[in-house]
Amino acid sequence: MMGAQREQRLQDLIRFLRTIQKPNRPIDSVGVNEGLVASGLIDSLAIVQIVVYLEQTYGIDFAAGGFDPDRLATMASILDLIEETCR
Amino acid sequence: MRVDQLMQFHEDPRVIAWWQVRFGGMLAWLTPFRRRIILATGAVWVMVKELRSLIGTDDLAMPVEGRGVVLAGLVLLGLAWLFYRAAAGFASLPAWIRQHPQLALHGVYWGFLGLAWLSTPAMGVWQQVLLVVALVFPFLVWRFGYMLLMAQYGRMAGTRFYDHFLTFWPVYGGSNTPYGKGMGYLSRCEAKNAEELARSQLAGIKLLILSGLWNVTLDLMEALFYGPGNALTARLGGYTVGIPKLSQLVADEGAGTAFWISWISVYCELIYQVLRHAVRGHQIVAVLRIFGFNVFRNTYKPLLSESIVEFWNRYYYYFKELMANFFFLPTFAQLGSRLRNWPRVRLFAAVFAAAFVGNMYYHLIKMNELMVQGHVLDGLYELRSRFFYCFLLALGIYISMLREQRRAGQPATPGRLRRFLRIAGVWTFFGLIFIWNVKGGASFTARVNFFLSLFGLAPAA
Repeated sequence: MMGAQREQRLQDLIRFLRTIQKPNRPIDSVGVNEGLVASGLIDSLAIVQIVVYLEQTYGIDFAAGGFDPDRLATMASILDLIEETCR
Repeated sequence: MRVDQLMQFHEDPRVIAWWQVRFGGMLAWLTPFRRRIILATGAVWVMVKELRSLIGTDDLAMPVEGRGVVLAGLVLLGLAWLFYRAAAGFASLPAWIRQHPQLALHGVYWGFLGLAWLSTPAMGVWQQVLLVVALVFPFLVWRFGYMLLMAQYGRMAGTRFYDHFLTFWPVYGGSNTPYGKGMGYLSRCEAKNAEELARSQLAGIKLLILSGLWNVTLDLMEALFYGPGNALTARLGGYTVGIPKLSQLVADEGAGTAFWISWISVYCELIYQVLRHAVRGHQIVAVLRIFGFNVFRNTYKPLLSESIVEFWNRYYYYFKELMANFFFLPTFAQLGSRLRNWPRVRLFAAVFAAAFVGNMYYHLIKMNELMVQGHVLDGLYELRSRFFYCFLLALGIYISMLREQRRAGQPATPGRLRRFLRIAGVWTFFGLIFIWNVKGGASFTARVNFFLSLFGLAPAA
């Protein structure tokens, strides 16, 4: 069962991803555990836009902990990263 | 059956089910453990073959003997083991190395280079060992790098030496660029059961078929477009359009060739290079997929790209990933605290770190024979046209990324004409910058003159 806070963060994330999605691949067709790059929603260089979103919204400092692109591979892994950092 | 269904045969549940029934025994036998052992055994064979090919080479400061190569092989194996142990025990490494593992790795490479430069014939066989290790290291450095990245991200648990070793001297092929990246990426794409393996193998077979088709297309291009043609030209009645190769036109600065033929040559070269990458890349990825690693293709329809950054993603995926993983993303992350309020400057720095600095560095150390002999400046001089190519590439990618960011989230633009114009723009950009990347001994000035000749601006003789 997804917690209310996680659900809220997911909705916020989906709202953000809708602003960077590729025109022909809407976010609504991508599952929570589906790869964002593999599904064609974004390309691997556009991951930096997710980085900026996480820095600005949750204050995550990627310089300190090293940058693992796999942590941003799916919506579920992004939510896990947010939870770990905000804990 | 429709054409698109035929093209996607590897996704068809009926075909997958048939494959599982027909080859059920093989699928069951080829467990992840056995697949990795086969590839690791192949890696030993590749290592021995590659090192043996160095025996007798006289391109270095001194001829290399069999004894020197054997000892160098042992040193390289030892280094591979040491880096594996360092990755496995990453948490216990000194803080500086944990923070900068890639710098430390490249420091080891430059250390070996320095020792090779300082070595003298009086050192006997040990000079040969140093030369061979420094010669082979650029092939291994990115592969060790991926292993260290995996360690940095805390993903080494459960992996053994042979898991990584199979990527060091890959039997499936590759250049200094590791196709399929490292074991971290491979294991994420690995088939876990018979159905996934069947899917992966069918996807691999599809790539082999495509590779064969593109190879025939390349031959046909050589026969029908490029003059004077090849053996196939005679079989096809001796007809060839006779378009000169771009390398030849650049060397001649376009002299004596109508400008529209030069333009055709520019576009033909782009298509030729895309096909060449697709043929080789598909073969390599096909082998990986047949062994259950269902990884991304190296080349995926780049000629249909509607933006420069999309083309760069699709043309040579594993090189782009190498640049992104080792230069672009780390630079972008590191600059977060300093340039948070200047997002465009931050993006600019990250793009140039990858497409310009990283790209040049990769190609500099790839010139391993020059490097081993200490001719670093000669190497940089050899790359003088590439400097300009990389600069234009980086600038193009940066502008394209900004444009993509503006376009993102908007509905797809209707209209075939607009799409066609976008694709044509991408072809023209890459076709033109490739003038400074095409192989051959043409000087930088000759390339500039050829570029000008495309617009009727040939300089006065």
